[in-house]
Amino acid sequence: MNLNRYAILVACATFFLIIAGALVTSHDAGLATPDWPLSNGQVFPKMVGNLFWEHGHRLIATSVGILTIGLVIYLYRREKRLWVRRLGLFALFAVVVQGLLGGLTVKFMLPLSVSTAHATLAQLFFCTTVSIAVFTSRSWLVDRPTLEEKGSLQLRHISVVALMIILVQLVIGATLRHSARWDQDLPKELLFIHIGGAVIVTLILGTAIFLVLRRHPNEPFLTRPATFALALLATQLVLGLAAYMTRLASPYDPQPLNPMVAITVAHVACGALVFATTIVLTLRTYRVLRPGRAYEFAESAQNA
Amino acid sequence: MFKQTKVWLVVTVALSLLALGSACSKSESETSTNDASSSSAKVYASKGDEGTVKGVVSFNGAPPAPKKIDTSADPVCAQNNPNLTTEDTVVSDGKLANAFVYVKEGTLADGSKFADTGFPTPSEAVTLDQKGCHYMPHVMGIQTNQTLRVTNSDPTQHNVHPTPKNNPEWNQTQANGAAPIEKKFARAEVLIPVKCNQHPWMKAYVGVLKHPYYAVSGQDGSFTLKNVPPGTYTVAAWKEGGATGSEKTMQVTVAANGTAQADFAFGDATASTKPGLQMMPALEIHFGRH
Repeated sequence: MNLNRYAILVACATFFLIIAGALVTSHDAGLATPDWPLSNGQVFPKMVGNLFWEHGHRLIATSVGILTIGLVIYLYRREKRLWVRRLGLFALFAVVVQGLLGGLTVKFMLPLSVSTAHATLAQLFFCTTVSIAVFTSRSWLVDRPTLEEKGSLQLRHISVVALMIILVQLVIGATLRHSARWDQDLPKELLFIHIGGAVIVTLILGTAIFLVLRRHPNEPFLTRPATFALALLATQLVLGLAAYMTRLASPYDPQPLNPMVAITVAHVACGALVFATTIVLTLRTYRVLRPGRAYEFAESAQNA
Repeated sequence: MFKQTKVWLVVTVALSLLALGSACSKSESETSTNDASSSSAKVYASKGDEGTVKGVVSFNGAPPAPKKIDTSADPVCAQNNPNLTTEDTVVSDGKLANAFVYVKEGTLADGSKFADTGFPTPSEAVTLDQKGCHYMPHVMGIQTNQTLRVTNSDPTQHNVHPTPKNNPEWNQTQANGAAPIEKKFARAEVLIPVKCNQHPWMKAYVGVLKHPYYAVSGQDGSFTLKNVPPGTYTVAAWKEGGATGSEKTMQVTVAANGTAQADFAFGDATASTKPGLQMMPALEIHFGRH
């Protein structure tokens, strides 16, 4: 397996881990065992009830940790670019901190701040593994003609803004999820902020996608992630609405029911994919786009 | 390129840290210390003229059908209790079981405030059992600092996790055949939800009061509060349901050696019901004597 395929494997495993984590939250399984890192004092406990989700999450997380160590070794053996190797080290650091946050949230019985930090760092770690997969990909490494940014609104900049807004939206979403269990009502203020965030993400990411498709329609290096992002964004909005509707009835259910669990987990997973696709789009815009003449002229005029 | 990536990473980390900092901590915001069981309270001395509050909790209209619980996540639960249903609204012949009825506040006949009066803590423990992958009883009361004994009669593992707001939260695994867990709640709190994180359908509610004047309505909806000192009280009835349950209150006057009647009604066509554990205006007054 070459380095890029291995990096893709790590990114996919991380995505799977995010789904496993979301399943823990939706099943209210975070405290199925009060101890950490062992579960009820055992490495392999009987995985019944919610312990299946919590301990399963721990096993997958351990696997991702081992895969990340392998990635760092791989990078230091095969990768010549120092900054990519350092990015691998950052990934290792992030996965270690993430494991500790997972332990802390169990030990302190799911305090909102720690649980939200755990969910947020999961996305940042995913972002890092996706970035490594992009940087080691063949499409990134081959020589590409440089394209000029067209228009005054720089595509690279708006992509970065979209990425930042999505990250903030993911943090708000994580806070919302961890603010109320399945048998509690969602806090309305936070819900409205999350809906407002969805509108802003749609506007900004939508603008970035529109600019890619309009300015560079014959550049699949850019249009592919943009098209993916568009499809995922639309799916995510539908999933968000569906998740809200199933969550409304949830406090009256006898237990976390499969429709609510499936839809809320799909919403989390799709959010991670929107984030990952926007990372790919943003990195690629920086790979091929350079400031256009109009932009340079405006800048020099401003400096003068 | 590396420089740009580094800047981008620093910004994302900084943003996430900022967001984390702003995420308020639940545990920090929920440290209310409204402890009514002050050690300086005057301890009530029985005068032999205590009365009784009796009543029936009714449910008007058609009760919601019990929901079937899917216990298949644990084969032991599925085998031992395949027909488990919800217990939030248990109604037979229009009478509601599992309502928690208690003296909320009031004034004793001698003019002293009920809240300022202390009551001795019983030495015997109150048992909460886990049997058939559900808690027995479903709703119960206990006095502050009285021992709560949690037992596991199931051939599977549970974890016992009360989620109080005014008392320390704890979460403890209890294997099948393990020794009982014994705990105390130092502060009054109505009601503390107890759950099992391994079996998320398992719920119980423990009402913690500084006094012994509480009861849980039986299958016929009836309840009795015995040995209540003469005085005028707000009696509350709490019913499980939704995120926080609902509560109704009424004022009763207990005469010396008398019996006060306090009937409550939940469901349709009843007086206003306010969600949450909040005090309601007096609804009706009944008096009675032996």
